Amino acid sequence: MNRNRRLTRLRSLALAGATAGVLGVAAAPTTALATPTISISGATASYPLVSLLAAKYVKLKPHSVKFKITQGGAQIGINDVAASRVSIGDVSRDPLPTDPKGLVFYPVAKYGICVVTNSANTLSNLTPAQVVSIFTGKTRNWSQVPGATASGTIDLISRTSVAGVLTSFQTLLLEGKKVTEPLAHERPSEGLLRAEVEGDPNSIGFLSNYQAGLGKLNSVSYNGEACNRTTVQAGQYAGIARFYEVTRGPAQGFVASFISWITKSAAARKIISSQWVPVT
Amino acid sequence: MSRLRDPWPDHRAERLLGAVSLLVGASVIAMIAFVGVRAWPIFEHDGLSWLGPGGNLETQIANMQATSVNPPASAYHLNAWPLVYGTLLSTGIAIVLGVVVAVLSSIFIVELAPARLRGVAIPMIRLLASVPSVIYGLIAVLVLVPFVGNHLITAQEKTSVQNFAELTGAGLGVVVVTLTVMITPIMIALICEALMAAPAAWREGAVALGLNPLRAVLAVTLRAIRPAIVAAAVLATARALGEAVMIQMASGGSSYTPNLSHGPLIFLYEPLRTLASAIVDYHEGIGAPALQATLYAFGALLLFSAFVLSIAGYMIKLPLRKYQVRG
Repeated sequence: MNRNRRLTRLRSLALAGATAGVLGVAAAPTTALATPTISISGATASYPLVSLLAAKYVKLKPHSVKFKITQGGAQIGINDVAASRVSIGDVSRDPLPTDPKGLVFYPVAKYGICVVTNSANTLSNLTPAQVVSIFTGKTRNWSQVPGATASGTIDLISRTSVAGVLTSFQTLLLEGKKVTEPLAHERPSEGLLRAEVEGDPNSIGFLSNYQAGLGKLNSVSYNGEACNRTTVQAGQYAGIARFYEVTRGPAQGFVASFISWITKSAAARKIISSQWVPVT
Repeated sequence: MSRLRDPWPDHRAERLLGAVSLLVGASVIAMIAFVGVRAWPIFEHDGLSWLGPGGNLETQIANMQATSVNPPASAYHLNAWPLVYGTLLSTGIAIVLGVVVAVLSSIFIVELAPARLRGVAIPMIRLLASVPSVIYGLIAVLVLVPFVGNHLITAQEKTSVQNFAELTGAGLGVVVVTLTVMITPIMIALICEALMAAPAAWREGAVALGLNPLRAVLAVTLRAIRPAIVAAAVLATARALGEAVMIQMASGGSSYTPNLSHGPLIFLYEPLRTLASAIVDYHEGIGAPALQATLYAFGALLLFSAFVLSIAGYMIKLPLRKYQVRG
């Protein structure tokens, strides 16, 4: 009886073998299949588009390639692809002189950066000067903003200082000026910024046109132009930025086929045109 | 085959266990060394003055991000005081509140509650202690923040500080309340255990001398387990210091230093950022060497604090052993 309970060598070996076996089986699917995987990481803003494109690509060319897509932010995409941790980095801003050398940026779509307020605040339009004044902290009260139906202090909601959409927003709509710190509350993703603007009647923030168009928010016109797919396509809206697929060195093999499919095929063009705007 | 069926000889089992514990020790040392080496540029450039006030932290972080791959020495300049202050403030208030609540509820559970209630309460508290912090963060950001922002903060309060800080609901008050709810169950679990382990004869002696049961608990048992209370507080402090996700969601994410001179209520509504939540906020820019060193310096500071707290917790519990009370 007592002897049975002892951890004999045989049992320890069997246990170790079983553990290794379970781990091996769990790991097997990733190594045993021959289908190549395109791993992608990066911008939260372009994630909805890239997921749709990848799903369509897999449907059209079954078994040719698999996708593993994660989010994290434009700079994560840049860092991951520069370190060869992923095949493609998703980026929501133009290339910067400070980006690591040797990266190739393939533009895949255009999107608008919209100024948004809580749905209770039906502010319809802001002039460029008003946007700069609000986001740099000079205008602090909604009573100073004609057309605003909110009253009281303006709550600025921004993104953390390392986000791609913030960089584009400051370049395109703030004349290169910075969103005032530490006054503005900073959110690490489009989703959390959206949640805060939805919950706070006095807030103002900025989102990509896809997120701004999902409802529950008031998307504000800039200089008389609404921010949506149509005005971005027509080139009338001022805050037009680009999504890029970024590779380390020119794209090769199945990664190159995927990127070229995005930029050239009619199927991809249809998906991009649903909410965003094709580059050409 | 018979050799395989034999139990492990003692000397071999000892060696195996010894190797495992050495491995644990070695990985802890390797981790401390790794964080230390990565954080070194910040200490090299600023000594310990980077912990102090001055400058604009946001501008400094943006600068580190902008200089990217080859930062000049000036990019390492940092004044992290808003984060240090935010960490001390949120942790300090939450611990003080938590200790009071934990001690009172532990006395109730162990000494006053009927046995059936105790049987339910203790497992429930253990369960609460293991709830992941992101759940608390979600409740804070989706329920507490809008409630405080829309119902408690007045337009007048918002306007009075509008040129320094935004009162949206996300801020010190919500962080402290959520943090207290997070750390109190751990303290209750530890204090309950110590209360139950304290020799019943001491309290009975005090009752025999004429104290009523509650006075006896307060005067004798509670005094005896003081080291356990401090040890529980130390453990809770370690959890609160390292809390990143919940605070990142509920604090407003602004490197602002809440100011008591604006009035106690406004002080509680003001936003802040802590060392741990800053690591979550800025991790996106870790590709820039200066920012990477900065984040590791925050990590080193938290690691050092945890180290000091852990040693303090051990030393505080020593007197308990003398009375053979488990802490």
